[in-house]
Amino acid sequence: MKWSFLAKPEGVPRHLVVNADESEPGTFKDRYLMEFLPHLLIEGVIVSSYALGSNVSFIYIRGEYAWIVDILEQAIQEARNNGFLGKNILGSGFDCDVHVQRGAGAYICGEETALLESLEGKRGNPRIKPPFPAVKGVWDRPTVVNNVESIAAVVPIINEGAEEYAKIGVGKSTGTKLISACGNINKPGVYEIDMTISVEEFIYSDEWCGGISNGKRLKACIPGGSSVPILPTNLLLKTAKGEQRIMNYESLSDGGFQTGSMMGSGGFIVFDEDQCVVKHTYTLARFYRHESCGQCSPCREGTGWMEKLLLRLENGQGKMSDIDLLWDIQSKIEGNTICPLGDAAAWPVAAAIRHFRDEFEWHITHPEEAIIRNFGLAHYADEREAVLA
Amino acid sequence: MVQLSQENIDRVQKIIARYPEGRQKSALLPVLHVAQEQFGWLSVETMDYVASLLSIEPIEVYEVASFYSMYNLKPVGKYMFEVCQTGPCMLNGSDDIIAYIGAKLNIKPGQTTEDGMFTLKTVECLGACGYAPMMQLGKFYKEHLTKEKVDAIIDECRAKNN
Ligand SMILES: Cc1cc2nc3c(=O)[nH]c(=O)nc-3n(C[C@H](O)[C@H](O)[C@H](O)COP(=O)(O)O)c2cc1C
Ligand code: SF4
Ligand code: FES
Repeated sequence: MKWSFLAKPEGVPRHLVVNADESEPGTFKDRYLMEFLPHLLIEGVIVSSYALGSNVSFIYIRGEYAWIVDILEQAIQEARNNGFLGKNILGSGFDCDVHVQRGAGAYICGEETALLESLEGKRGNPRIKPPFPAVKGVWDRPTVVNNVESIAAVVPIINEGAEEYAKIGVGKSTGTKLISACGNINKPGVYEIDMTISVEEFIYSDEWCGGISNGKRLKACIPGGSSVPILPTNLLLKTAKGEQRIMNYESLSDGGFQTGSMMGSGGFIVFDEDQCVVKHTYTLARFYRHESCGQCSPCREGTGWMEKLLLRLENGQGKMSDIDLLWDIQSKIEGNTICPLGDAAAWPVAAAIRHFRDEFEWHITHPEEAIIRNFGLAHYADEREAVLA
Repeated sequence: MVQLSQENIDRVQKIIARYPEGRQKSALLPVLHVAQEQFGWLSVETMDYVASLLSIEPIEVYEVASFYSMYNLKPVGKYMFEVCQTGPCMLNGSDDIIAYIGAKLNIKPGQTTEDGMFTLKTVECLGACGYAPMMQLGKFYKEHLTKEKVDAIIDECRAKNN
């Protein structure tokens, strides 16, 4: 669908750029695809390049995945040796080359226009849109930027036909989705799901996460990467309407930000009963401050301010008014920045306060305990049976 | 005089050839990686040299080298332990691992041991959250870290250096 926006001016080359920057905390699915199924990705790149008319395509990979660069380059070399890349591929008259470009440690380069800046050898400062990359992308040429999982999915869609592929799943959540599950679970890892299973089944079934580690109870979960709202157990397993929550786009976002969350990047972060939401939120605020490119003042100043306040609260040195101040800061960042990193930094703070306010307050009323241990208010860790009853 | 090895010069030429005429600046990030691999860190001299290789201004190199967290603008130890401290790793005890390494090597995050062998650095999410706690060591990741594993890694590094 996105491909239809690609401008095709006469005589100007076009490019496909695969986004393999994968840096959203909780997310490690693209890594899995590239490390263990590199040929699937390369096949997807070749087919997509043909469809888009890109003779030179790039895979922009986060710099830390250094060994995966070798894996991809080897797969590319094999494709070239077999005539699937290079000049006049399989007699089709189509020429194509694929190069792997390494980033160097910057979450913001996952944002597509920052990625293009980086590919041009510059700092990863997002561009103001429009113009969109499809019109003016890398080197001012029309460019399509797609995620690794999207490009890899082109292969089964072509092989099985779009209709067959869309039969998997329900509603708008068709096809399969990769979920990277982490945190306090028995079986962390990357799972391919067909988006019909319940969140409860995903967490507790031995086929998936295998339950909470060390026999503890479930307290909370960030179901779609660090940017999306955290939910306490009762809202995670069931929607506010009392329906079972399902692992798909519609169900995870049911209730909006008031009582729901998002599928996001598929980074599924599970908290056991002993984890501290204030501390976790502090680490995320620190992450976003570190990763802000600094172009917009609400994001640059706001992320730094939130980090300081959260550290103060976590260390038992906060005031009750700090909680309201935090709320105020996050609400002023949201929607006032060039790129969505500002929103991504604001949402986790907002959701933590919305659903775990008394845990923030506890850090203020119990300063000595707040510094000596990682505290989680256990009353959020409802028994799953009680929630689902 | 800073000078890349012939092998690395060849790599740089191959990288530049990927981009259209006049767009050789696109090679900057990959070439800085090559330079850092050879020299361990990026001195002003090295950055000026990279600028000359790509026919760009030195300031264009400084701007980029200071933006991306993987480039070392100061010398670092022979082995750099880059331990992830972001949320998902924190849930699995990364704080304890960082404290353990610090105590064992008698350095704080950001510091290098006196013999120049080890640097401890805290970093943000490396995309290995399911295999936490973890760290990057050179080109590879060390995952599911425990105190025993850290001991073994340190011993291995020391053994390699003898
Ligand atoms: C701050 C920020 C970080 C992002 N990081 C990534 C990333 O690491 N990987 C990715 O594929 N998309 C990332 N995106 C989304 C991209 O901008 C873009 O929408 C995506 O690559 C499009 O791919 P798709 O349409 O195939 O999903 C990020 C967006 C923002 C605002
Ligand atoms: S929102 Fe933040 S990261 Fe995005 S452009 Fe503005 S300052 Fe940079
Ligand atoms: S949080 Fe440590 S690797 Fe993602």
